[in-house]
Amino acid sequence: MRMIKAIAAIAALMFVAACSNNNEAVAPPSGATVTPGSVGDFKQNVGDRVYFDTDMSSVREDGRATLAKQAEWLKKYPNYPILIEGKCDERGTREYNIALGERRATSVRQFLIAQGVPAARIKTISYGKERPDVVGSDEGSWARNRVGVTSLE
Amino acid sequence: MMIPRHLRTVLTAVAFAALAVPAHAQLTIDMTKPSFEPVPIAITDFSGDNVGAEMATVIRNDLQNSGLFRSIPPGSFIERNINANAAPRFQDWRSVGATGLVVGQVSSAGGNLKVDFRLWDVVASNQAAGLSFTSQPNNWRRLAHIIADAIYKRVTGEEGYFDTRVAYVGETGPLNLRVKRIAIMDQDGANNRYITDGRTLALTPRFSPTLQEIVYMAYGENNGPPRVYLQNVDSGRRELLGNFPGMSFAPRFSPDGTKVAMSLSQDGNTDLYEMDVRGHGMRRLTNTPAIDTSPSYSNDGTQIVFNSDRGGTQQLYVMGAGGGGEKRISFGDGRYATPVWSPRGDYIAFTKIMGNSFGIGIMRPDGSGERLLSNGFLVEGPTWAPNGRVLMFFKQQPNSGGRAGSVTLSAIDVTGRFERQVPTPTDASDPAWSPLIPQ
Amino acid sequence: MAAFTLKLPGPMTIFPSRLLLVAALVLPSAVLPSIASAQQQAYIDDRLNQLQQTLTMLTGQLEQLQYSNTQLKQQMEKMQADYEYRLDTLEKGKGGGGARPPAPTPTPMQNERLAPPPSTASAAPPLAAGGNTAGADQMYNEAFKLLQDGDYAGAERGFKSFVQRYPQHVLAGNAQYWLGETYYARRDYQSAMTSFAEGYKLYKASPKGPDNLLKLGITLSALNRKPDACAIFARFGQDYPKATDLQKRRVDQERSRNGCG
Repeated sequence: MRMIKAIAAIAALMFVAACSNNNEAVAPPSGATVTPGSVGDFKQNVGDRVYFDTDMSSVREDGRATLAKQAEWLKKYPNYPILIEGKCDERGTREYNIALGERRATSVRQFLIAQGVPAARIKTISYGKERPDVVGSDEGSWARNRVGVTSLE
Repeated sequence: MMIPRHLRTVLTAVAFAALAVPAHAQLTIDMTKPSFEPVPIAITDFSGDNVGAEMATVIRNDLQNSGLFRSIPPGSFIERNINANAAPRFQDWRSVGATGLVVGQVSSAGGNLKVDFRLWDVVASNQAAGLSFTSQPNNWRRLAHIIADAIYKRVTGEEGYFDTRVAYVGETGPLNLRVKRIAIMDQDGANNRYITDGRTLALTPRFSPTLQEIVYMAYGENNGPPRVYLQNVDSGRRELLGNFPGMSFAPRFSPDGTKVAMSLSQDGNTDLYEMDVRGHGMRRLTNTPAIDTSPSYSNDGTQIVFNSDRGGTQQLYVMGAGGGGEKRISFGDGRYATPVWSPRGDYIAFTKIMGNSFGIGIMRPDGSGERLLSNGFLVEGPTWAPNGRVLMFFKQQPNSGGRAGSVTLSAIDVTGRFERQVPTPTDASDPAWSPLIPQ
Repeated sequence: MAAFTLKLPGPMTIFPSRLLLVAALVLPSAVLPSIASAQQQAYIDDRLNQLQQTLTMLTGQLEQLQYSNTQLKQQMEKMQADYEYRLDTLEKGKGGGGARPPAPTPTPMQNERLAPPPSTASAAPPLAAGGNTAGADQMYNEAFKLLQDGDYAGAERGFKSFVQRYPQHVLAGNAQYWLGETYYARRDYQSAMTSFAEGYKLYKASPKGPDNLLKLGITLSALNRKPDACAIFARFGQDYPKATDLQKRRVDQERSRNGCG
């Protein structure tokens, strides 16, 4: 009997917590924590970036985990239009990289669609090597510039 | 300030009667030889008007920058106040080490500027060339370039390339918010101006081989995909070449200027298409699951060289101009990109991506005779001078300390002997050399 | 495909997250098919990507093979022409002496197994420094014949005494090279290395010089001395800028095979 009471209490607590979360979504963001369902929440708690190997456009294992989380989140918050930005490091030629960035963006898009995100919600754009995330000419910077960014703005 | 430079320009050239007895000329250079000495040439300030000295400076820079001439410093000249219509004291010019001597006279002719110039062969003691030009006074720089072209042609036997312009991408600001505008300037860096406003990224300008028109790609407002535009560089009139659902980019004119080959991208797949410039009719040229991009027509218009990763890495392929019969031509180590067919037809220039460096190279259209002309951390995007003897490309230094490395234009001759930086007011990439400006 | 048409129940998303989780646990049968369909789609996409990559790789390999095939064919034709020219010369009884027209290209390096061009000997003009020239030629030819017959020990003796007796002969560099080959063919890489190294030291400018240096590198590689092999391949370009394309390509191949930087 005590057990059941405890479960009920926890359930009630959870409900309250869930409700208060829900309310916060309407209220302006407060202090350090990000609002669930906000762009900040997506960036911080889900991760808006997946990285690619040199000259490759297939999503890596680590990227798959991120994209699976993205898909869950995006299905939960269906009102955000989604733009996937494909980008490349500077170690390629301009025109080819524009095509390669498009291929990367498309890989991300296909993955999200396969996970149940409606295709019509997702647009893609490639910035090739024209809009690097990180300014640097070393392997670390290049690795972070070979990226697919899921942008909700 | 911008003067219409094309057909409306009044420009006449009249060959002079030679003043001296013709003799066997010594004033020649064979630039195809594996080694040669630059021709020492004395260019005197043109007499008759203040602009004459400025014209001489332009001519000196043009010739000196070609790497084929050595301009003798005017301070060392012995014969002064030289009469443009009389034979010079050849001995004086021989003793300052000149092989050639350029003299000129500027005068006013009914509101126009009249320039008479002579090229003297100092070794043979005779006149090698003599021409007279008339044009509007504000065209004086062009007149100087035209004279430099005439000297270049007389000495090398090749067409000159000084009376040309270069379109490029002017870059300003930090890398993640970089502003990239299409700019245009004279081949020597003068008369620089911008022809896109910089609100969206504009890239990869390419000149029409016949008209003063360029094609380029620009992103749309609000994350709109890149599209291809055609723009007249003098009138500024701009035209969208096709509004396709995906990206359209990597445009390049056919040699007769009536067609533009470009890449269209949809669902991550990029193929080549050809558009009729006037009617906007589209024709598909390739159909593969690979990236096919950077097309460039052969000088006779019958073939197209392009860049594809259908074999796993970027390589160069040649096909018929209507598509089909693709044949890979690059087989060296590394990746190959941005092929550009020479206007002479003898070479294809390309960017080569090796382990830690990039190179600019040339090969014959069948892929043989590959030769690297320049290399560096990042060199990319060669474009040919209209005479097919000089290439321009861009060079990026590594970024460091959170700051973008400089991006500059360089020119190099096909022998790879003589490389120099081309001055631009801002960082610059993606040069595109114009044909000779119509006179 | 049918599974693909199943969709997640739409209205769920208006519930707060934790309740959704509970709902998923309580109602597995309703939700699982959708997950399966997503996974299946991802699986199919994966397979397609893999196939695409394989196809791309095969395309690249095919291009490379076609290219090497064309190159080999051209090489064969050149050799054939050379061979015929030399036979022709022999038949007309002009072998060895007299001025040769510039037509034939030098016979290129053969593959690693022994396949010596039959003509190397007869091509040499008699230009030996002192001694019995006719005797030298004969000695070389005999050693060469033994090599062709696969009598490597006999060929070794022949070439060895040739280089001892006629170290200045125009064919001495060739003899030294083939001496190395007699060891290499018998997988005596240590002796082969010594012999090729000797050839490089003494007959650097010999027509066989480039082949000799190349083979020295290959032998070092066979001895598993890759850094040394790489150093040798690096020398090649400096020492023999005018080597044939085939030789240069071979050096490039060896460099990448040995992972030289």
